[in-house]
Amino acid sequence: MMTPTPAGNKLTSVRDVLAFLRHEHVRLVSIFGSIEEGAKRCVHYILEVDGREYRVVSLPVEGNIPSATTVTPAAAWYERELHELYGVKINGHPNLQPLLSHASGYHFLQVDGPGVCEVPVGPVHAGIIEPGHFRFSVVGDTVLHLELRHFYTHKGTEKLFEGAPVMSAPMLAESVSGDNCFAHAVAYCQAVESACGVSVPPRGRALRLVGLELERMLAHIADLGALCGDVAFAVPAAYTARIKELLLQASTRYFGTRCWRGLAVPGGIKRNLSAEQARELSQVVAEAARDFAELSRLVLDTPSLLNRFESTGILSREHARALGVVGPAARASGLKLDVRHDHPYGAYRKLALEVPHYPQGDVLARARIRIDETAISARLIGETLDALPAGAISSPVTCPAAAEGFSAVESPRGELLYWIRIQDGCLRRCHIKSPSFQNWPALPLAMPGNIIADFPVINKSFNLSYSGCDR
Amino acid sequence: MIFDLAARSLASARVLIPSEQLIGACAGSRMPAVNPKQLTAAIARRVVEACPTSALQLEQSGERLTLDYGECIGCGRCLEMGAEAFLPAETLLCCGVSRPALIRRWDIETRTELVAGESALATTGEEIGKLFGRALNIRQVDAGSCNGCEAEIVALSNPYYDLERFNIHFVASPKHADMLLVTGPVTQNMAEALRHTYESTPSPKLVVAVGACGCSGGIFAGGNAVTGAVDAIIPVNAYIPGCPPTPAMLLTGILQALRRAPGNAGCPPDVTHF
Repeated sequence: MMTPTPAGNKLTSVRDVLAFLRHEHVRLVSIFGSIEEGAKRCVHYILEVDGREYRVVSLPVEGNIPSATTVTPAAAWYERELHELYGVKINGHPNLQPLLSHASGYHFLQVDGPGVCEVPVGPVHAGIIEPGHFRFSVVGDTVLHLELRHFYTHKGTEKLFEGAPVMSAPMLAESVSGDNCFAHAVAYCQAVESACGVSVPPRGRALRLVGLELERMLAHIADLGALCGDVAFAVPAAYTARIKELLLQASTRYFGTRCWRGLAVPGGIKRNLSAEQARELSQVVAEAARDFAELSRLVLDTPSLLNRFESTGILSREHARALGVVGPAARASGLKLDVRHDHPYGAYRKLALEVPHYPQGDVLARARIRIDETAISARLIGETLDALPAGAISSPVTCPAAAEGFSAVESPRGELLYWIRIQDGCLRRCHIKSPSFQNWPALPLAMPGNIIADFPVINKSFNLSYSGCDR
Repeated sequence: MIFDLAARSLASARVLIPSEQLIGACAGSRMPAVNPKQLTAAIARRVVEACPTSALQLEQSGERLTLDYGECIGCGRCLEMGAEAFLPAETLLCCGVSRPALIRRWDIETRTELVAGESALATTGEEIGKLFGRALNIRQVDAGSCNGCEAEIVALSNPYYDLERFNIHFVASPKHADMLLVTGPVTQNMAEALRHTYESTPSPKLVVAVGACGCSGGIFAGGNAVTGAVDAIIPVNAYIPGCPPTPAMLLTGILQALRRAPGNAGCPPDVTHF
């Protein structure tokens, strides 16, 4: 297999991987399976070492394997999926109930005691949001325990990649999580580029950065608005919706698409900007950022809002680390993780990026991360558009007969990684590590002790994608 | 603080887009339009081959080109391959119509559009004014979408589109709803919940399938965990294409769908123009 195993850390068995995972500076990124020649199964572990190197360990499996969940709870859902999709037997896993298929019954953890009630919520929710099921065990208003049952939007997307032509699969990646479609498309394209040894021209890289940061701004601005909406603070909610719409309309003007779909392509990007368009877009973004910064100051100056945000839904640093939490939620719990900083890609290689982080782990900290990062994104977009490199926006891509590649980007929700295997111009296997799949299990740990009425704002402060998780 | 905020929003310019500019508009949707004058057999073959869904097809041994907007995901390949015969659509009137009315046909030899029975889509502001004037409550149901459609449905409530000006509200329960706005593809895991939601909605009710996935399964059609279009699970009155549909398309579709609303017998036009 194509496993890079530098001397000193030979990882040739699942046991080696588990022992390696015990090191403080090793983080589990993903676990997934594949079917090899002769119907043999293979398990792939993606690890991050010392916060700056990704390592893919691919191991053939026969019979049982020991569970990584016993070493790090971050592995729990990955191993359940592996068990369900590839029939790999996993020893010592605490709960191997099917995740994706709802065909068989499901047992929720029963919480017993005087006055304990169960409150089931979903899959059809009250707002315009995606479907998922939450099972609360409460005493009065206070939540003792929350269990998730998701995967209502499971569409077998990874399977649909199999057999798809390499050059047209970005449209599938865009439909994994619609509100982060450009991050998904770029992560996929970068994986193809790493497999095929293609380098994107500087102008293509710069325009991708503009798209990625604009998508982050849109997500963060909408998140702050929704957080205000969830505590009945309607004015900022409407105001952020307006700022967001302004940016969507600018995207339509300059790129022909509101949501940045259909733009990323392996090798680069499809649409160019004239010097004048770049100047105009830069102005629109700067204005939106100014507006948002002012609004944020007013929001954070409002005592009734702080009262709802502060010390609500605390995710401790220890829990965040144990569950491998990524993205804004990790940074709000004191973990300074950001793919753009730790594993720079594309135009980020040339940037010195600041990574805002807060130790509190509450709703307020997660809101602050969004506010800080929106300003940083706007600055990155401005600097990039003001100094767009000249030249081509994409390079030709020639696929080797067989190749593997992977790539990670920092999507608005955190570390997003695509691992692909190509054969004869088509995909043989595509694995998507989505930040939402990683972060959903952390939400229940932020709930105990909070009142159930605070659940919407706590949930929104994580703002995880159901479709991105369920795939 | 809160008063500064209120003062700030009062001082800001009005951004509401007049309804006349929204009805039928589709800028930013990436939907294609066909210019039949430039259509040739070679172009038709090329775009049909390039189309990743089966939105573009040849019929009658290659004499006719059909474009099913209900399957189109706006990938833009026909625009790249179709020379001048395929252009980005500026307007799209077939929102909120029946499933067959999403399909358009062109005769390649005569380079003309063949008008099917159902595509009488006179979507003018006036007609909508006549047909629509009552409050409508919508329950949105995500039956498996990628959330792209949801983001645009949420945008309908922003100050630019302000759906409430048409007396249309989103409600929290199907029991309060007149219309279900359903996105797809319907996954196997959501089929039962969708059925229950439909049954919980009091009659008379309208169901509108939203997005390529809701209309046809879109890019997920045939996937091993999806059942497909919304109408495979519950009866659907009208369809809104797009991947995702823009707020203008959603608005057009919702208003157009009301033409078929049971018992919705028109109202003075002046109350519906904003």
